[in-house]
Amino acid sequence: MLPILSLTLATLLIGTVATFFAGPRAKYVAAAVSGVFLAEIAAMFLMFSWPGIGVGPTHFAESETYAWIHVAWLHVNYTVGIDGISLILILLTGILQAVTVAYSWNETRQPGAWFGLVLLTCLGCFGVFVALDVLLFFVFWEVVLVPMFFLIGYWGGPRRRYAALKFFIYTHVASVTMLVALLVTAFYSHSPSLDFAGLQGSAATLAVPTQVILFLSLFFGFGVKFPIVPFHTWLPDAHVEAPTGGSVLLAGLLLKLGAYGLIRWGLEILPNGIAHAAPVLYAVAFASIVWGAGVSLAQRDLKRLVAYSSINHMGIVLLAIALDTSLGLLAAVLLMFAHGIVSALLFMVSGSVHHTFGSRDLASVNGITPTAPTLSTMTMAGALASLGLPALISFPAEFTALLATWDKLGYWVLIPLFTLVVTAAFYIWMMQRLLFGPPKGIPADAHDLPYAEAVAMGVLVILTVVYGILPNLLVHWITLSPVAGLP
Amino acid sequence: MTAIPWTVFVPELFLLGAALLIFLLDSVGFRWLEVFGGLATGGIVLALLAVLADLRFAPLAAFATVPANVVDAPWSQLGGSLVAVTSFGLVFQAIFLTSALLVSLSSLSRPTKEKGAAIFFGLLLFATLGMTLAALSADLIFLLLSIEITGISTYLLVGYTRRDPRGLEAAMKFYIIGALSAALSFFGASLLYAAYGTTSLYALGTTVVYLGHPPLDGATSIALLGYAFLIVGIGFKVTAVPFQAWAVDVYDGAPSDVSAFLAGGSKKVGLFGYFLVFLVPILFAGRLATAPPACPVGLCVTLHPDFGVPLQVIFGVMAIVTMTVGNVLALQQSEMKRMLAYSSISQAGYMLIGLAVATSPAIAGALLQIFAHVFMKAGAFLVVGAVAGLGIGSKIEDWKGVGLRYPYLGLSFAVMLLSLAGVPLTVGFVSKFVLFSAAVQAQGWFVWLAVAGLLNSALSVFYYARVLRVMYMERPEPRSAALPSGAVLGGSEPPLLALGGIGYGRAIAIGIAVVAIFAFGVYPQVVLSTFQNAANHLLQAL
Repeated sequence: MLPILSLTLATLLIGTVATFFAGPRAKYVAAAVSGVFLAEIAAMFLMFSWPGIGVGPTHFAESETYAWIHVAWLHVNYTVGIDGISLILILLTGILQAVTVAYSWNETRQPGAWFGLVLLTCLGCFGVFVALDVLLFFVFWEVVLVPMFFLIGYWGGPRRRYAALKFFIYTHVASVTMLVALLVTAFYSHSPSLDFAGLQGSAATLAVPTQVILFLSLFFGFGVKFPIVPFHTWLPDAHVEAPTGGSVLLAGLLLKLGAYGLIRWGLEILPNGIAHAAPVLYAVAFASIVWGAGVSLAQRDLKRLVAYSSINHMGIVLLAIALDTSLGLLAAVLLMFAHGIVSALLFMVSGSVHHTFGSRDLASVNGITPTAPTLSTMTMAGALASLGLPALISFPAEFTALLATWDKLGYWVLIPLFTLVVTAAFYIWMMQRLLFGPPKGIPADAHDLPYAEAVAMGVLVILTVVYGILPNLLVHWITLSPVAGLP
Repeated sequence: MTAIPWTVFVPELFLLGAALLIFLLDSVGFRWLEVFGGLATGGIVLALLAVLADLRFAPLAAFATVPANVVDAPWSQLGGSLVAVTSFGLVFQAIFLTSALLVSLSSLSRPTKEKGAAIFFGLLLFATLGMTLAALSADLIFLLLSIEITGISTYLLVGYTRRDPRGLEAAMKFYIIGALSAALSFFGASLLYAAYGTTSLYALGTTVVYLGHPPLDGATSIALLGYAFLIVGIGFKVTAVPFQAWAVDVYDGAPSDVSAFLAGGSKKVGLFGYFLVFLVPILFAGRLATAPPACPVGLCVTLHPDFGVPLQVIFGVMAIVTMTVGNVLALQQSEMKRMLAYSSISQAGYMLIGLAVATSPAIAGALLQIFAHVFMKAGAFLVVGAVAGLGIGSKIEDWKGVGLRYPYLGLSFAVMLLSLAGVPLTVGFVSKFVLFSAAVQAQGWFVWLAVAGLLNSALSVFYYARVLRVMYMERPEPRSAALPSGAVLGGSEPPLLALGGIGYGRAIAIGIAVVAIFAFGVYPQVVLSTFQNAANHLLQAL
């Protein structure tokens, strides 16, 4: 069988190195790598659905294992594999890598390094989604940090060094906690190896209080990436200072790493942990939902608004995961995908607004539609999708999430439901001011979107509509997943 | 009883022969640096090959000079032998010789007409000789004497140029502290002899544990005092906090090559001493102790009346304090070498985790950490020496733009710093991962050693990242870019690929370090399984 996952890793690795050294031609190399990556993802979809290949109740489809470090007490393997959840997130990785490359087509500052770091971030995310060994997972997890640190620290806004360092500190401390918790799980339960399968088999032998403590440590480790209230403060800073491409990857992919990690290494390894710790997760999720929506209302900076609404959306993802039901997991993965596409679109919008009109301040830039009709259309599509309009991608995801919450928690569903109204309020208010008000603060030389940016955003808008009308394109793959607990 | 053949000294004979040849040539008026350097390097390479053969590495195993039944023979059957061959000691010998090899290769690039080249290479060989002898010891006095051979040679190495007043000051400080440390160690040894009438490490360690139950008798209390003196005396060599204060001044004042040797080599001999002296009592206490009560995720510390467990607590606390103090002080340094020196202290803290945990995985992890440290830290000091040779100042600020102007040196230094910080795919990451995993695997309160180590390595990222930022993200000021006219490389233009500018020997030594960092970082299986076997055999032999 074709080792498609290792092949993809190799492609991305070679592509990244080539891009670094390609100098001014880096964008063509990066585009080619993105194309190959998408083709390989298509191959993964094909092989995944091919009859008779690995889709069983207990096994990962497409899994590969090679011994890496083997001594008597430590078995570390190079093990990669995908199931439906990782497949959908890999698809998201491929899409966002391609549109980020397209959006930053005209990058002139150190293009080799820029595109190389973008590819390296996506390589790390892909690795996180396929790694099925604690050490391998941690290696990729850390690989993501370094390029993002440089993307923010070199191409970012005026307070970029502060933001980059804050991002690094928060996430690094969290990953260290996560690693300790995973190692404790492995060694205290005498797991035969550091593989996912080994951990999953042995973790159940731990005493339940230990499992709960470990699960909560993992929750902290992954939660900072989500981000959860009260460890969310790195996110608005990082987003506001990050360059647009960095924000797209940050919101679209990096936040998903936390959620994916919580599902794969928390939920599936320590089912007893989540069963007992769920109230903590609910509380944190509700706090994030309410806090994110409430603070968004008060924002004047478009990018900050989108950043805080990410906290709100990821709070719903956390809620859906915490439900620990099959419907909840399905909703969580759908939401992750939807948020990845929509937040990427909205961050591109705020980036374009910023460099077209010189400001993202909603009080000083108004009525842009006559000047920039395309940008205005994209803004509207993004905002409508984000507030959950039916037939756009977020609707099926949020609807499933609310349904799952109702099933498990009953009237608590009113909390996320109410914040959806708040979300709708601030997005409509934003559109009213930015798009339709009397023109104000429009520079004389303002123009509509450049071609590259329009293409990138256009692709995302199309995906928003397609997956919004046909959510089964996603649901089918997620439910094919052999992950225990999915229907 | 196992008879020890003379062939165990073959590596030492290579070193001694090369050293004597160098001094002989020097005494007849022959002054040619390359020949001295070549002799030293050759002697070290031969010794290293002999050690690898004794470790039974596949292509070399046929040349092994020590019979297989002598290696790792049980210590209970040694009788009164002064020396014992363990794979643990052989691994240490290989590590010592590797660091000596890097330094002697690099020193081939010293100015050709420099005075004292014979002294430098001769002393380097003698220091290495002392270290390899120490790695053979089974007797406290033999161990301490071997450490002293290294000590005296390195005091001289630090001050051998006699031109630099800072080097002389460092040598003087090093000498006084070294003498104090030796005095304390020997006094401890004499107390132990007074208590039990033996200096055999095995006999001492087992006796103190068997007799160590309260109430204390007179002999045991004298012995405990003796062990306390040894902890302090050898602690100076390890640069464990609170015995670390001298190290920064000495590493800073010494020529960079010598600093590389001190950090990569002579500190490790102290660690080896710690392991050898204290493992026996710890292990015996562990074998006597009843199984500890169940303890959820190491939230409680279980103390036994035996001598071994308090020892583990002492070393555990020492490890945490050493790594934390080293890291916190490193954060505040503005001089490159002082920063590296403090970072070296903190790394000693990580290595002490292996002794505190004292299981075979932890010992293997500590060995890996010690091994990794040779390439990272010795390599970093060599780069600092090369950069100083290019006329760039010693402050971190002076390194602005070095990464862009000297790509080879900059990239090598970046790799070494990332490895020190424990970034994945470098040997520094693997060694920390294995060491901390071993601490977690041992369970109980050792988990907190791993947590402390991980938090410290997270902390250390900041001062390494700061150097990277200076090297790559800041532009040099015009003044510091100018090269002094009499600089080593002679030319006025800084070469883009500054290989020739720093000399081939140095470039090769740095290259070896970088390749090793990546090779053992991506595929650590070979060294790790060797170290694991060494640790297993050591525990069986003791």
